[in-house]
Order: sequence, then C-alpha cells, then structure tokens
Amino acid sequence: MVAQNIAFGIISGIVVFSALRMVTTRNIVHSALFLVAVLAGLSGQYVLLAAEFVATTQVLVYIGAVMVLFLFGIMLTKAPIGKSMEMTGTQWPIAAGVALMLGAVILYSLIDQFGSDRLTEGGKIYRTADVGDEVFSTYIIPFEAISVLLLAALIGAIVLARKD
Amino acid sequence: MEALLAFTRPPLDWHALAPELTLLAVGTILTLVDIIWDEKSKQVMPTLAGVGLLAGLVPILTLALDGTDRAMFGGAYMVDDFALVMKALFLIVGYIIVLMSVDYIRDGDYYENEYYTLMLTSLLGMLMMASSRDLISVFVALELLSIPAYMMAAWRKGGRRSNEAGLKYYLMGVFASAIMLYGMSLIYGLTGSTSFSSIASAMALNDGVTAMSILGVLFVLIGFAFKVSAVPFHNWAPDTYEGAPTPVTAFLAVASKAAGMVALIQLVFVAFDNHEVIQPFFWLIAALTMTVGNLIALRQTNIVRLLAYSGIAQGGFMLVPFAVAGQASERALQAIVIYLIIYAFMNLGAFSVVLAVSRKTRSGELESFGGLFQYAPGLAVAMTIFLAALAGIPPAGGWFAKFGLFRALLDAGGAWAATLGVVVAINTVIAFAYYARVLGQMWFQPIHEGDERPIKLTSALGSALVIALVATMAFGILPGLVGHFGEVAVLSTLGR
Repeated sequence: MVAQNIAFGIISGIVVFSALRMVTTRNIVHSALFLVAVLAGLSGQYVLLAAEFVATTQVLVYIGAVMVLFLFGIMLTKAPIGKSMEMTGTQWPIAAGVALMLGAVILYSLIDQFGSDRLTEGGKIYRTADVGDEVFSTYIIPFEAISVLLLAALIGAIVLARKD
Repeated sequence: MEALLAFTRPPLDWHALAPELTLLAVGTILTLVDIIWDEKSKQVMPTLAGVGLLAGLVPILTLALDGTDRAMFGGAYMVDDFALVMKALFLIVGYIIVLMSVDYIRDGDYYENEYYTLMLTSLLGMLMMASSRDLISVFVALELLSIPAYMMAAWRKGGRRSNEAGLKYYLMGVFASAIMLYGMSLIYGLTGSTSFSSIASAMALNDGVTAMSILGVLFVLIGFAFKVSAVPFHNWAPDTYEGAPTPVTAFLAVASKAAGMVALIQLVFVAFDNHEVIQPFFWLIAALTMTVGNLIALRQTNIVRLLAYSGIAQGGFMLVPFAVAGQASERALQAIVIYLIIYAFMNLGAFSVVLAVSRKTRSGELESFGGLFQYAPGLAVAMTIFLAALAGIPPAGGWFAKFGLFRALLDAGGAWAATLGVVVAINTVIAFAYYARVLGQMWFQPIHEGDERPIKLTSALGSALVIALVATMAFGILPGLVGHFGEVAVLSTLGR
C-alpha cells in the first residue's frame, strides 16, 4: 500500500498545481494544456483505485475528445493566442469566494462522511467486463436511449449550424 | 473468457416498453421519410408525428387494462399506474403541441421534418422519465428530453432572440445538469446504489441526515429545480420563453416542466426519505417561486413573458405539496398529479390563443389583444376561460387543482402547512390581478391598430384549441374525472 500512497501524493501534487496554474496563467493555450495535466492526473488516480474502465474513459473522452475540441475551438475562433491580459474577468474575487465556500462545504461533508474510513485490501474490483455486462443488462434502456440522443443531437446540430 | 460466458441476456418486458418503442419507431420513420422523400415529405410530417403520438396511447391503454405493475432490472425501470398516467399525459400534450406547431413552423419556413423528429425524441425522454426509478436512467432521460429542447428553442435561426433563447436555456441546463450529477455521485458514494429503492433503504439505515446526504439530496433537487424553473433558479425561463418559437415555448412550459415535476415526484416519494431536509427546502422554494413569479408577472407588457412568469408561479403552486410530502404523502402526490394534468390543458389553451392572435397581429405585446372580443369573440371567450382556469375560478378547471393543494395542506396540518396555505391564498389573488389585465384588454380596450379583420383559425390550431378547451371545462365541471386519474396514479412500491 505504501507505493500507492506515494504515487497518490505525487499525482495529487501535480493535479493541484496544474489546476491552480490553469486558472492563473495568462495564456489560453497554456490554460488548456494545464487542464490536460489535471485530467490526466485524475485518470492516474482512477488507475490507483483499480477503476480501469473509468481511467480509460477519462483519457479517451476528456483528453482525447474534449480537449481536442477546446484546442480546435481556440484555433478556429481566432482567440488571441499568446499572452493576453483580459482573460481574468472583473468579477473574479466573487467567483473565487464562491468557489472557496463551495469547496469548504463539499470538503467538510466528505471528511465528515468518509474521514474515518480505510481502504481495505481484497475489496471487489470491477473490471471492464463487469461494466460491459452491467451496461448491456441493467442499464440497457439508458444505453439505448443515449444512442437515440446522439442521433437527435446530430440532426439538430446540423440544422442549427448549416448555412441557409 | 469466463466473464463472457457469465453474461445473461436481460429479461425485457416488451409490452411494458411498447409506448417508448412506438415513439422510437415513429421517430425513425420520420427520419427515413425525410431522407427518402426530401421536400415532398413536408406535407405528411405533422400528420405522421401526430398519428404516431396517438398510436403510443394504445399500448398505454392495454397496459392500464392489464393493471399489473411491471418492474424491470430490479425496479430500475417501473411501469406502474403513476408512470402510465404521466406517459399518457405527455403523449396527449405532445399531440396538442404538434397541432399548434403545424402552421407556425410551415409559415415561418423553418426546418420542419427535423423539428418533429426532435420533438418526438424529447417526448421519448419524457416517457422514459416517468418510468425511471434509478439515478442513471433519470439522468439519461433528462438529457434525452432536454437536449432536443435546447435546439428547438433556437429553431428560429434568423432571429437573435431565438438564438439567445436557445443559448441561455442550454447553458443554464448544462450548469444544472452538472450540479445534479455531482449530487448523484455523492448519493451513490453514500448509499452504494443508483436504484431509488436501495437509496431509500440505505439512507434509512444511515439515520438519514448527515452533511453529505443533505448536500447530495439538495444538489439533485436543485438540478431539477432549474428544470421546473423554480425561483431562484428561474432566470433562464422568461428570456427563453419569449425568444423561442411560441409552440416550443408551450412545449417547454408544459411538457418539459411536467417532466421535471415527474422526476421530483419520484425522487421525493421513492428515493429520499429524509423529509426533515426536503420539506423546508420545498417550503422555501415553493413560497419564493409563487411570490416572485407572480410579482414579476404583474409588470409584464408582453403576453408570452406574462405567461412565462405565470408559468413560473404555477410551478410554485405545484411545488407546494412537496413541502408536506412527509405528513400527507398520498394526498400530496395526488395534488401534484392533478395540478399537472389540469395545468397542461389550461396553459396549452392559453398558448394556442396567443398563437392564433399573433398570427394576425404579428405582435407579442399585451396591447395586441385589445378589443379581441369585438372581432374574434370566440377566441376572446376561450381565452377568458383559460385565464379563469389559471386563476382558479370555477367552473373552469383550475379551481380543482388549487382545491387539491389546500386539501393536501389541510391533511398535513401544523403551523408550517398553514402558513404555506396563506402564501398560496395571497398568491392566487395576486395572480388574478394580471390575468384580469389581459381580460380587460380583450373585453374593454379599443381594437389594436384599428385592424378589424377577423382571425382565421387554421384547422390544426383550432383542434388544439378545442381539445384544450373541452378538457379544461370538463375538469372544472366534472372534477371527479381528473380526480380519478389523481387517485389512480399511485407509485408502485414494488422492489422497496
């Protein structure tokens, strides 16, 4: 367990540092890349928790799809690449205050609930195969519904985005 | 390898899923017809969609006659009487909205075929919502009904207002979803299950109230409070309602709000048993929603905005029974279901009249209703009935809805319920003030811009109006009719 704890500490440090840099950096591309670091770090934490499926999905969906979308968005909207001073809105102290308060409340409730729990060895590990079985049995209706949703989103997006 | 062999095919109850499958099939047919016939298909699209929605009622009827509660996946997907009543309501509301949309979408030269496909998809999500007793199903159903609605709100692509409507709705909706998902993850972490019945028993074991259970429950409820535009989570609603195409506004104000309420009902009455947290929360947002919605509605000069704020206030009335969900659970549930059914018809009726009038006047301002009685007496009388229903004046349907509220509050008893009753009473009076302003315009003001041409009702819009009118009057004169559905709509306790 010691190795895991050390790895957890190192990854946590990277994640927290990257998250802070993400909101403080003045370069939007750097900001996006720091977000990649945050998401990759979280994926590492999932691996440590033996949640392989979540870890892979995290990489595929967030780093693979969402971040590429972000970078394309920055590129195509001709946002100023490089140093720009106006990235921080004028209301940032309020936002920071709200974030701090929310963080405190969530932190308190999590510590209150799970603060004394200890991870035990030999707990059940859910493999990707188990997740697959669940998706195609217990959650088959939501799973099918999502495919309908994607089709509808595609149709609607084409209608809204195309030039008349 | 052994994992592969371990998989067993889930038992599916096809009869229980028939309404959803019908809707899915019709949606697929619409898409195919659109692809194959292209421009020619425009004529048949609304008919197909309407017939499809009515066809969905058939399996609901057979399921209702069969009468057994059907549970799938260990109670994650339930087809009980409550689900059937709500599904039937969604399908009928969908049908009326298709009728309202036909001419609006055709005249405006908007994308027609895709519009109906998206609406059917959204309705499919609502049907799913009525049966979902599981956090994952509820979330997917919510997204399935919301995402097409975001896009429908922006359907008038050329209009800046419509773009604003879609964007605001989308951003606030996504924000709410994020909050709700976080709450769901907390609840899952706490109870180790996503199914409502297991959540209820796990929470009872944990003595209900810990900081995290409060946070999780509140986050999930707040997510749905956005959906039903409860104050203080309402600020997207007026702009979205005003900017969206009017039939879509009716869809959002009635169907989408009903779906949010259905989700809240299932969460409060099945999953979350810690009423000492839930009841004060609902007391507060119900009182706020009614009061703020009504007070702002008083100052509106645009009829759609007025109906938007009135809709917010009506949503507040619907939230009232949740505040007594612990003491009078049966009555409270009945009151909400009855309110939902009556609200759907009277509000759709009011929107149909607004559509009919604005087709001629090309205006959404309150003055455009000036002197309506002189050149379109039928519409003026219909609007009077709908507004009387919304205000709760007998014999139009609304009074019975309000009566149900008071009955639930009386059943619960106690100082808090009594205070809330007073708030409801005061708000009923305030609401009457602005409904009366519309009435005054129609009956006593001079004709808008002196334009006395009569209003030609198209057959589709006329049918929508007649259905809403008949239902509103029938519910008022024979309240037993809707009361019956209220009593029938019992949540199944299977799997608890």
